[in-house]
Amino acid sequence: MIELAQVVKTYEAGLATPFTAVDGVTLSIPAARLTVFKGPSGSGKTTLLTLIGCMARPTSGRIHLHGLAADALPHLDATEALEITSLPERFLTAIRRRTFGFIFQQFNLVRGISVLENVLLPTYPTGEDPRAVEARAVARLESLGLARHLRASVDRLSGGEAQRVAIARALINDPAVIIADEPTAHLDSRLSEDFMGLMSQFKEAGKTLLITSHDPIVYDSELADRVVEMRDGRVVSEA
Amino acid sequence: MIQHPGILALLVASGIVSLLLAAAGWQGFRILRGWDLRSGSEVQLDLERRTYLVSTLVANALLIQILSLFLFIFTADGLHTQFVGAMCAAGSLAVNGYGYPTLLVKVATCLLAGVWLVLHRADTQGYDYPLIRPKYLLLLVLVPLVLTETWLQLSYLTGLKADVMTSCCGSLFGQGRQGFAAELAGLPPRIMQPVFGGTFGALLLAGFALLRFRRGAGLFSALSLAFLLVAVAALISFFCLYIYELPTHHCPFCLLQREYGWVGYPLYATLLGGAIAGLGVGVLAPFRRQESLAGVVPAMQARLAWTTLVLAALFTLIVGVWMALSPLRL
Repeated sequence: MIELAQVVKTYEAGLATPFTAVDGVTLSIPAARLTVFKGPSGSGKTTLLTLIGCMARPTSGRIHLHGLAADALPHLDATEALEITSLPERFLTAIRRRTFGFIFQQFNLVRGISVLENVLLPTYPTGEDPRAVEARAVARLESLGLARHLRASVDRLSGGEAQRVAIARALINDPAVIIADEPTAHLDSRLSEDFMGLMSQFKEAGKTLLITSHDPIVYDSELADRVVEMRDGRVVSEA
Repeated sequence: MIQHPGILALLVASGIVSLLLAAAGWQGFRILRGWDLRSGSEVQLDLERRTYLVSTLVANALLIQILSLFLFIFTADGLHTQFVGAMCAAGSLAVNGYGYPTLLVKVATCLLAGVWLVLHRADTQGYDYPLIRPKYLLLLVLVPLVLTETWLQLSYLTGLKADVMTSCCGSLFGQGRQGFAAELAGLPPRIMQPVFGGTFGALLLAGFALLRFRRGAGLFSALSLAFLLVAVAALISFFCLYIYELPTHHCPFCLLQREYGWVGYPLYATLLGGAIAGLGVGVLAPFRRQESLAGVVPAMQARLAWTTLVLAALFTLIVGVWMALSPLRL
């Protein structure tokens, strides 16, 4: 479970033009479920996910991970709650790498290198056996129907293929939590349905899925266990 | 004289270090007063972010502080040609009343700065800022000491007058004279040799006990400090006689000169380095059972203990080889 307590994120705090993107959010997000964050642009969905995913620190408030970061820190009991907002940067890096997999709205693939190399990027700092991770990456790409593109440059991929590469990259370190920011924003309806099909598989595999979206294909999907609606940085409804 | 490159470097370095530490000291005071990791308040999260910046600044400032001790000695040695009567840094430091106090405070801040860096290193290995309070408490001790040193050093360096006649090291460290330096020089080798050997042996035994049984960190720490003091006394009492090949020359500063292969620098560096590492072993001991440091502190203590032992052995080896090769026999 991910627990947020009175989380606030203010940009340019203390300056002339402060902007509060997330305003006092208190929330419990269950593990192994799909939670959708919906709301208009500027409602604070993406900022909230960057805070949960340890990519930014809140201005105030705390975020606890319960049993989701067991292998990210030494001497940590798997059942123990870990408060992540106070962690020194070197530990946050380990958690980002091991606990979270990110699928970005613009995919953020590295142009000029191959599909396989893009997927392998998050494994380089882990020091794992290169042959083992390559075998894992190939298997993951094959399962996503990208076997024939392994050595192709990512510049040649279609939007749907590029997103599947981004998904493979997010999964390569076997994270417990997958964070997807507006994943269907650049996809047509059929590809969006395909994406939700993949999410269904990951949910069955026990992954915790956090998706921001204002696409009804995502938030009206039967797969969504919980829909959190946000506006002006606040949670306005939970269903 | 103030245009001497060494003097300018020392003044600039001490000014920068003092400013950084004074600012860090204020943040340290805020952290000590308001730190509460259980709180998710804006103030607490701000303190957590600031501690990165403050710790990084302090760590770099203290590294400069440690290096400045050697620059100070080097500069004092280089200046001796400017003063009538001075033969080495001993004479330069005696030009006015601030020279030796500056040196003593610099040695003290060097040791404390080293201990702070050990604490800081251990603190960054824990995920819950385990040593944040002891680290900033020590910083609050260091700040007034560094500011005092800056004032003493400024008074010393700006008070250097070329027309002053000063004492040579033979007079300051000569047997039968008055003062602490002369008393050190007068320590009989037949007493200091077994005292040095005994302290070195006790340090080795305490190190063995610590590494083998993980016991006696406090004793090891105390012995590493004792080794520093005894080794300096032994150096003045008899080791330097062999280096100078003179039975009456006890100066601990001439060792820093070219004629003697600048042997003083490695000798003092090994002694100070060993003492800092040894003190670090004891300072870390109370925290070895702290949850987030349980897997870190014992390994760090072992590395520090090895460092102390290797540096003490290196010091002994250097002076031992010099004694063996010296034509002087006492």
